[in-house]
Amino acid sequence: MENHPAKKNSAKEARWGTPVSIGVSLALLAAVVVSVVTAVTIGSTHISVKDVYSVILYELFHPDELSPYAQGAVHDVVWLIRLPRLVLAAAVGAGLSVCGTVMQAVVKNSLADPYILGVSSGASFGATLAIMLGVGAALGRNFVGIVAFLCALGASALVMMISNLGTRSNPVKLLLSGMAISAVFSAFSSFIVYLSDDMEGIKNITYWLMGSLAGAAWSSNAVVLSVVLVGTLFFMTQYRTLNLMLLGDEVSITLGTNLHRYRQAYMLATSLIIGFVVYSSGMIGFVGLIIPHFMRMLFGSDHKKILPTAALTGAIFLIWADVLSRIIIPHTELPIGILVSMVGAPCFVYLLVRRSYGFGGDN
Amino acid sequence: MELRCDGVSAALGGADIVKEISMRASANAFVGIIGPNGSGKSTLLKCIYRVLKPSGGTIYLDDSPLGALSYKESARKMAVVAQHNYYNFDFTVREVVMMGRAPHKKQMERDNAEDVEIVSDALRQVDMEAYGDRIFSTLSGGEQQRIILARALAQRTRCLILDEPTNHLDVKYQLQLLSLVKRMELTVVTALHDLNMAAMYCDYIYVLKNGRLCGSGTPQDILRRDFLKEVFDVDVKIIRDAQSGMLHILYLPPRPDKTEA
Repeated sequence: MENHPAKKNSAKEARWGTPVSIGVSLALLAAVVVSVVTAVTIGSTHISVKDVYSVILYELFHPDELSPYAQGAVHDVVWLIRLPRLVLAAAVGAGLSVCGTVMQAVVKNSLADPYILGVSSGASFGATLAIMLGVGAALGRNFVGIVAFLCALGASALVMMISNLGTRSNPVKLLLSGMAISAVFSAFSSFIVYLSDDMEGIKNITYWLMGSLAGAAWSSNAVVLSVVLVGTLFFMTQYRTLNLMLLGDEVSITLGTNLHRYRQAYMLATSLIIGFVVYSSGMIGFVGLIIPHFMRMLFGSDHKKILPTAALTGAIFLIWADVLSRIIIPHTELPIGILVSMVGAPCFVYLLVRRSYGFGGDN
Repeated sequence: MELRCDGVSAALGGADIVKEISMRASANAFVGIIGPNGSGKSTLLKCIYRVLKPSGGTIYLDDSPLGALSYKESARKMAVVAQHNYYNFDFTVREVVMMGRAPHKKQMERDNAEDVEIVSDALRQVDMEAYGDRIFSTLSGGEQQRIILARALAQRTRCLILDEPTNHLDVKYQLQLLSLVKRMELTVVTALHDLNMAAMYCDYIYVLKNGRLCGSGTPQDILRRDFLKEVFDVDVKIIRDAQSGMLHILYLPPRPDKTEA
């Protein structure tokens, strides 16, 4: 599934250096483009490759000779359904991977994923409120996403606040407050579901929680894509501080950086990015956990190398996961969250067993 | 670079660990801090390298109070090799040493050729050039400690704080590390466990017991039989080697209780 150069990281000691990681990043960027261009020809409706590209070329350059492709069913499937969906997949995959990498540094724990700070339970709570109780129905078509987004932000704000009560926050306090807040929000979600007898609503919540890219549209894509892009570029400039986070607070102070302020800022930034990701596609698990690990296995822990590669690999991963989820069962779409976990979990176990790198545990 | 503590106190969890300690390390002096376990050596050093905030008193680097400097500024003046550095994540040796350049960098600034050169220099100084591409966590404790020293050297500071730097090192590397540091034109403040090492390298020694300063002076002044008995509760014999003039502290086994009296 990874369009990665098929090199094997055989030697335990050797990691790829900076020139290689720049080369790999460029190759991955090309692979993202190739993935989008290839994946757009695949789908449950059969459309010829020529028709697909004619539509895209028409939309990009508006040449007169392709004007027959300006509208109609083929145009709509390619330009309004498939392509926005692929772009969203790339944005969401990149966003989750970058935020996973950053969160693992912020809480100094390689088990962290982008949802660790209560984002997931906050989002589910929001979705439950919206679907079961109709909260926020006035906010328009995607009110479920908006309410989930707001509750996710609220949950991470709460986690940050609680972790700063008493003494200053530290990675352990953050993790524990994240768990506590998650438990509270999950309990409230369950409570609402328990009191309700709206079977349709319960089904909707379940579906929403599994994550889906079906809601993709150019207008919302533009927002999500720019948030992810700006966020990724921002974090790429922060690689030195992210590296220091892995060394811990004391060492960082002796190296001239007080991490406290940065930790708050990074959490805020990831919460925003993840909020938008949740808004556009629900909850897609495992990507944000496994891609950072995979990158560390190849490149070590230096964020200068793993942030760009994680973003691009995450994009490619989710593009193909989405293609698979659309075609694996004919005439039905498998929720992408299910597929990602089905594929991701065994991969993760494989990495764990192979243990060819530190993994954040004892050596 | 001169380092000065002026009546520094520190509390941990409500208990006063360090009580009104004043000390001074003049430019390029090698100053040792000795004292039994729990005497407050590490706590005092942590105040100096800013991981703990003193509850009283002021620490000066040259003439600037530490509190007036940003963390970046103090990290450009003072580097630290602490007791134990343990990293869960995989960094190569070169990446670890490169982090010593962090205090000299702006947020968005990239590492340049000069940084790379400084890192190679630092690795050469600790005799670990060949280890640049190794993964830090796969090195032995002693090798790791030398890499951490290299990182401190890469900071290019005029002052070095060592917090029991020779823990986990075998004798050869204890001597090597301290000799290396001694040779450099640096103000060194170090907590030491081994009194013979203190005798061998220190220009001046401060002695801590129960959080208070209970003596200071040159090794000859400090390392006396009755004083060491009082502070460390051990019986020693002190020998001065006729040829080298070096002090050697011989430890004697504790006498059985009270049979002497």
